[in-house]
Amino acid sequence: MKYLSKGLLGGIALAVFMSPAIARDITIDLAGEPSSLDPHMQWNPDSYYVYRNIFDNLVTRNNTGEIVPQIATKWEQKSDTELVLTIREGVTFHDGSSLTPEDVVYSVKRITNPDFGSPQLGQFNQITDAKVVGGNQVSLTTAGPYPALMAQLVKLSVVPQKVVEEVGDEAFNASPIGSGPYSFDNWKRGVSVTLTQNENYWGNAGPFDKAIFRAVPDAATRVADLQAGTADLVVSIDADAGAQLSSSPNIKVLSAPTERVGYVGLNLDKPPFNDSAMREAASLAIDRLGITEGLLQAGEVPMAQMASPAHFGYDPNIPQFEYDLEKAKEITAANPDLASAPAVLATAPVFDQRIVQAIQQMLNDAGFNVSISMSDMPTYLNIVRSDPSENSELSFGRWSCACQDADGITYPTLHSDSAWSRVNVPEIDVLLAEARTSLDPEVRQAAYSKVHQMVRENHYLLPLYQAAVLYGASADLEFEPTANESMFLNRMSIAN
Amino acid sequence: MLRFLLHRGGQALIAAFGVVTLVFFIQRLSGDPTTLLLPETATEADIEAMRATLGLDRPMWIQYLDFLSDMAQFDLGRSFVQNTSVWEILLSRMPQTLQLAGGALVVALVIGLPLGLIMALARGTLLSRLIMGLVLAFQSMPTFWSGIMMILFFGVWLRWLPPSGTGSLAHLIMPSIALGLLSLATYARIARAAIIDELGKDYVRSARARGVRTGRLVHKHLIRNSLIPVVSITALEVSQLLAGAVIVETVFAWPGLGLLMVQSIAARDFLVVQAVVLLGAFVTISTNLAADILYSIIDPRVRLAENS
Repeated sequence: MKYLSKGLLGGIALAVFMSPAIARDITIDLAGEPSSLDPHMQWNPDSYYVYRNIFDNLVTRNNTGEIVPQIATKWEQKSDTELVLTIREGVTFHDGSSLTPEDVVYSVKRITNPDFGSPQLGQFNQITDAKVVGGNQVSLTTAGPYPALMAQLVKLSVVPQKVVEEVGDEAFNASPIGSGPYSFDNWKRGVSVTLTQNENYWGNAGPFDKAIFRAVPDAATRVADLQAGTADLVVSIDADAGAQLSSSPNIKVLSAPTERVGYVGLNLDKPPFNDSAMREAASLAIDRLGITEGLLQAGEVPMAQMASPAHFGYDPNIPQFEYDLEKAKEITAANPDLASAPAVLATAPVFDQRIVQAIQQMLNDAGFNVSISMSDMPTYLNIVRSDPSENSELSFGRWSCACQDADGITYPTLHSDSAWSRVNVPEIDVLLAEARTSLDPEVRQAAYSKVHQMVRENHYLLPLYQAAVLYGASADLEFEPTANESMFLNRMSIAN
Repeated sequence: MLRFLLHRGGQALIAAFGVVTLVFFIQRLSGDPTTLLLPETATEADIEAMRATLGLDRPMWIQYLDFLSDMAQFDLGRSFVQNTSVWEILLSRMPQTLQLAGGALVVALVIGLPLGLIMALARGTLLSRLIMGLVLAFQSMPTFWSGIMMILFFGVWLRWLPPSGTGSLAHLIMPSIALGLLSLATYARIARAAIIDELGKDYVRSARARGVRTGRLVHKHLIRNSLIPVVSITALEVSQLLAGAVIVETVFAWPGLGLLMVQSIAARDFLVVQAVVLLGAFVTISTNLAADILYSIIDPRVRLAENS
């Protein structure tokens, strides 16, 4: 009996030591569930946090923001309008079939087909044709010279043509098959999406056996999940929760500046901001550092241009705006009738009202007469897109193009053709068009620098800050948040 | 009885028609949803194309007639965001909300009724005042606050219960209590008032004179007689619970209809939002109809008064 129990214990001990190390699962709390797992449909963080792990994209950005190979191993600009990409060989989808150049062409054509109705169409509709050339190469043709093409291809996921055509769009969304480091396991609607590691992944698949993305809409609950140890990583927490978490020994708070720029739009056709001195006074009155360090506190950076260090086209030599309330008061005092003209600051509940109220107060302290007009989002969008005569005098917004190229942020907000723009300056239009169509990075950078300079000098609109995001993570999780807010599981690791 | 049923059924139909019409026009009043469905960078042409896809470029009255005909066929449409039938989405979430509402009702009844009984029987004592204070506190605490407090206490600090999510009975405990607290207070107060009322009646006095003990009195007479107002308040509480579920489900990440509503608003999925609003309205209309019918069965005077 004694020997039997010794043997039994020895057997158990052996079994424990011989068994492979138990790999770790990761639980991530998102603010909502993915709207879609089909990467050609919805484009929002809760969706792409998940599906970017299921699918490979044509190219990707590394953690420092450079565009690096993924499915395309090389690319070459053959002419002003033709880009040829070499497709990686030996990549298989999760169903075992090979990823071919035909799948790449199909993916491009699917997302650019207006009948498919992708909300991302506007990001890819410059591509007019895609075809397989010379074995493992794909040629993309654009409507004209299109320097932002590579930046857009960062977001283009490759889907398996055969599977999508066989099962249809709806079934594909419900059970997606990609070639990424994690394969789809199950989707409990409203609760969670579970992914399992793709053992046949061509690259590094990361340290997790399984990843569970849960929908936890309340930020305080996400924080509690992290504290209770039921979540390893949580997104979108505010500075207060960050401060609360940073005192916990097993938790760390991670911050990353994003490519979103917060700004105040001005109506240049209506008093008081049709007057350049008044615009200057408004800019002088806004304490940007007070907003970023006093109010937001999540790592936001004051900006004096409609771009951020995360964008191509950012100019580090543009000086920050000056904050000088006294000077602002002097300007408004010189023309009190104009300064006191009623100005409406349009906003919607989705924006951080602390900022909106701070701006109102700062401007009124300088002698302006600003009132806040809060409306639902569609009404707000209609106001800021309407003709100048119907447009509000001021609006607060945050702009992101998800392309990390100044084109996506300056063109919509500053070019006279854009419904969002209140600016109508022919020289800016010419510069923006030049930067949009030139394939020479130096020409483009020079054009954007000039635009930033003109905007800063004339205060056509008032850039405020580069937005940041805060994540909470368990202390042993190594994760480097990036400006494009991606969450690649295969770039994470577990510290020993 | 038939005339009464037809009358009340007709009223319910008119109310349902009113709700459908209101929902349609209020959604259109708040602006064009296409701007919300498309990214900020969408051009005018993209917006026009989306308007045509959604049928929003047609005259308003044609859209309204279409909407009415869809409603008459119980066709709630397809979610643009999830690319699935709205019915399918609703049905997948309904069991969770029913579970939560059931859990909350159990909490409210099992704790609320005895508290009401104790408050009535121990009227004027310190115990009764303490319980009354507690009940008032339950009624005054906003659920988003009590929910978070419970999560911090039982989930983070004591680690007895999972802070959020679903999957086991343990997950159901905190959301049920958070949602049930408000109804618990209502039940306790209603039960207290009903029992005090009963205690003053002649049969109680004569029973006591005959030497019937309190326990037997409560068990045999008081509970049964004071249940009538409790049953009738339940019809109203059901719609209260559905409304409260929006907050509780959000706090506890409980995947029911309330959370679906919040998620659909965030994802700008307006057909799903519309469907949840309609469902809530129909549940309220039908529970009220059921309560009216029940009253008329319990107390025929209601029916007679209506007919005359």
